[in-house]
Amino acid sequence: MYSDQHLRVSDAEREAVSGRLAEHFAAGRLDQAEFDDRVGRAMTAKTRADLRGLFADLSETGAPAVPELPRGGGSTPGGGPRGPGSPIEFRLDTASGVPTYLQLVHQVEHALRLGYLKPGDQLPKVRDVVASLAINPNTVLKAYKELETKGLTAGRPGQGTFIQAGLSQVALPELAGLRKALLGWLTTAGAAGLDEDGMVALFTSALRDFHERRGGSRTRGGAASAETEGVA
Amino acid sequence: MTALTMPTRPRHDASLRPVPWRRMAWVTWRQHRAALAGLAALLGALAVYLWLTGLQLHQSYATYCHPASSLACAINFTGRYGITGNLVSIFLQAVPALIGAFVGAPVLAREMETGTFRYAWTQGFGRWRWALAKLVLLAVAVAAAAGAFSVLYSWFNQPFFAAGYAIPFSTRLFDLGEVAFPAWTLAAFAIGVLAGMLIRRVVPAIAATLAVYAGLASATALWLRQHYMTPLLTTKLNLPSSAWIVSQWYTKGGQFAFGARGSGIVNAVSRLCPSYNGSPAQCLTQHGYTQWSSYQPGSRFWPFQWIEGGWLLALSVLLIAATVWLVRRRAA
Amino acid sequence: MNMNVIEASGLGKRYGSTWALRECSLAVPAGHVAALVGPNGAGKTTLLNLAVGLAEPTAGRVTVLGGRPAGSPAALDGIAFVAQDTPLYKNLSGGDMLHLTANLNRGFDQPYARARLAELGIPPKRKAGKLSGGQQAQLALTLALARRPRLLVLDEPMAMLDPLARHDFMASVLTAAAEDGVSVVLSSHVLAELERVADYLILLSRGRVQVAGDVEDLLATHRMLTGPAAEADRYTGRPVVHARRAEVQAHLLVRAAADDPVPPRWEAHPVGLEELAMAYLREPDAAALPGPARGRNPEPTEATR
Repeated sequence: MYSDQHLRVSDAEREAVSGRLAEHFAAGRLDQAEFDDRVGRAMTAKTRADLRGLFADLSETGAPAVPELPRGGGSTPGGGPRGPGSPIEFRLDTASGVPTYLQLVHQVEHALRLGYLKPGDQLPKVRDVVASLAINPNTVLKAYKELETKGLTAGRPGQGTFIQAGLSQVALPELAGLRKALLGWLTTAGAAGLDEDGMVALFTSALRDFHERRGGSRTRGGAASAETEGVA
Repeated sequence: MTALTMPTRPRHDASLRPVPWRRMAWVTWRQHRAALAGLAALLGALAVYLWLTGLQLHQSYATYCHPASSLACAINFTGRYGITGNLVSIFLQAVPALIGAFVGAPVLAREMETGTFRYAWTQGFGRWRWALAKLVLLAVAVAAAAGAFSVLYSWFNQPFFAAGYAIPFSTRLFDLGEVAFPAWTLAAFAIGVLAGMLIRRVVPAIAATLAVYAGLASATALWLRQHYMTPLLTTKLNLPSSAWIVSQWYTKGGQFAFGARGSGIVNAVSRLCPSYNGSPAQCLTQHGYTQWSSYQPGSRFWPFQWIEGGWLLALSVLLIAATVWLVRRRAA
Repeated sequence: MNMNVIEASGLGKRYGSTWALRECSLAVPAGHVAALVGPNGAGKTTLLNLAVGLAEPTAGRVTVLGGRPAGSPAALDGIAFVAQDTPLYKNLSGGDMLHLTANLNRGFDQPYARARLAELGIPPKRKAGKLSGGQQAQLALTLALARRPRLLVLDEPMAMLDPLARHDFMASVLTAAAEDGVSVVLSSHVLAELERVADYLILLSRGRVQVAGDVEDLLATHRMLTGPAAEADRYTGRPVVHARRAEVQAHLLVRAAADDPVPPRWEAHPVGLEELAMAYLREPDAAALPGPARGRNPEPTEATR
């Protein structure tokens, strides 16, 4: 088990590790600072040994050399053995002010990030989403189309919509650079007198504008169609 | 899989033929089951009574009334059952009105009152066809039931006619005849249906139906019926008992003196024959008065039944057609 | 499917001396869930009654399902209507209502209807009057859906329902829309519950159509500008639908696209559907109809009818 600790790790492995760390963070074994630190280390890890060190003080049940994607019963994501149908369920926050279709898109991206979804998994059928959330079918179609435009999903006619790629297409040096720039911005903002809420508000507002410009110009030209979504 | 996600069956191509009329048979039956059951119960109960009493009547007549003018007949038959016969005929006057009001008025009034017309008139069948089918089916049922009942009643009454106690042409019994009774019931139903559509509330429609029917029946009995055919005139004093005497009056010397009822004749008789014990007619004719009678002979009974049945049928058709027309054009 | 499920031109209805609906011109496209919204007495029920043939227009005309006259046999065949208070024959059982509806229509999917009632837990032998409000609504909806209509019209269907029943009801309606492509037109005076359901909006106010259009288009063509109150009156950039001002700050709802230039010192935000509807309701003269825009600022072109 220890003989391959010198091997280089891949992006997928780093991602998987981040997912495991998120689990531990959610369980309360790590606090925010530790979590950020370890994720940073995971993203810059080069060998399996680097990754192994991240879990040294965290309880594992038979820790494999390369941590598998979370599976199993109880509260771990993925719940039970994978059967037919989609691994995930959508939920709707009516008070959040975020448009419904965006909430669905975010939830898919979030699920990908945390490992609930992996390439090849099927997204819930439009009809099932409509039946459980009581939202307009065109909204679901719009969300699925957005995901397809982002390259995350692909529709198979007559079958459904399936995940085709993972997230984090950003290269690692870029990611580290972005993180550094962000920390710099935060320092400047803090020096200017902005508190945490103020930073969040400013960031959210700018993000919304950014989304509007990018999302608005893209969806106005396209027409919602149902061809990529298979209906049983 | 939940109900909300049940797979659906693609609908087969619908031709543009209208939905078949016969579908309304079950619809009418199921919706008006209670009213039709009430109708059956009412007529059924009366029928049982008529049957049982009628058997007694026929038996008594057979025993005592040969000849019919005998004293035994007068005591054991007429004296014993006469009042019953009268009461039954009075009671049965109300039956067509009740049927018309309680079967006819709610048909459309209830739909309007409860708002179910918003369901019924947006189904594929179409509202005026729905109304027409329903009303025709109910009308036929009502008229048929009434017709059967009136046959039974005629059988019940037959001994009274044979004994000379009553005549078919009398006001109270004419509209219970075998043609008139179902016709009146049908007309009451048609009045009820139209009232229901106009008034749109069940209880007021029932009240209106009863009122209109009472008015029409009274007007016919008191005034209209005698004019179906021109009455015959005669000066004979003894008319056959089966004749319906419409009016009588006295003339003297070619001039009208006074009518057969009222203060005129009473004064004349008391003046001319102060201690006379016979009939006023005999008294007055002895003093030179001529009695005139305007009457309808008994042989005209059946033609009159058909005339009355005929115009009542025409009226019913008209009222039902008007109702269907209202349904067709009425705005919600 | 690019026909219009409801098309009205100059439609008007008068009761006595009051016009319940006036100069109503609409073209509701198929394949949408259209919300008909407006305060009580705005004319929603009148409009729906005219569309399903329960009332005759006093002025103008209305056709459905691509040109069929409202109320004609062809129209009745393709439209299923559930009126306010879901009228049912209270003394008939659920099973009887099914049989009744099957008899009164050309096509009726009885197995689907029976299965639906079973899954919803509605006993088929119980009289409709003895069912709960939610069950009655679901029964009426089942009868409508089993007719396999092209258009489902619902008049304030959820007024009497508790939140759970409301959710299940809408889920059923939307599932039918998703699976069979049934177009839906439903009315309500509560906009909040329709926001995530509707993709076409018709706003009625005082008997007139104020807003009619695709929800996405409406939201994309309206912005909320926030800026100094002093400059609010002088703003002439785009038609202003509604202005709210305090001493220093003002909010203007304008008809503008996302990439329209924003004046300096002003901020632009997207608008939610409820906020948009409320703004129009407060400005009876403003309208957002297909055609040139109309706002409070006088424009050379008027909205076409």
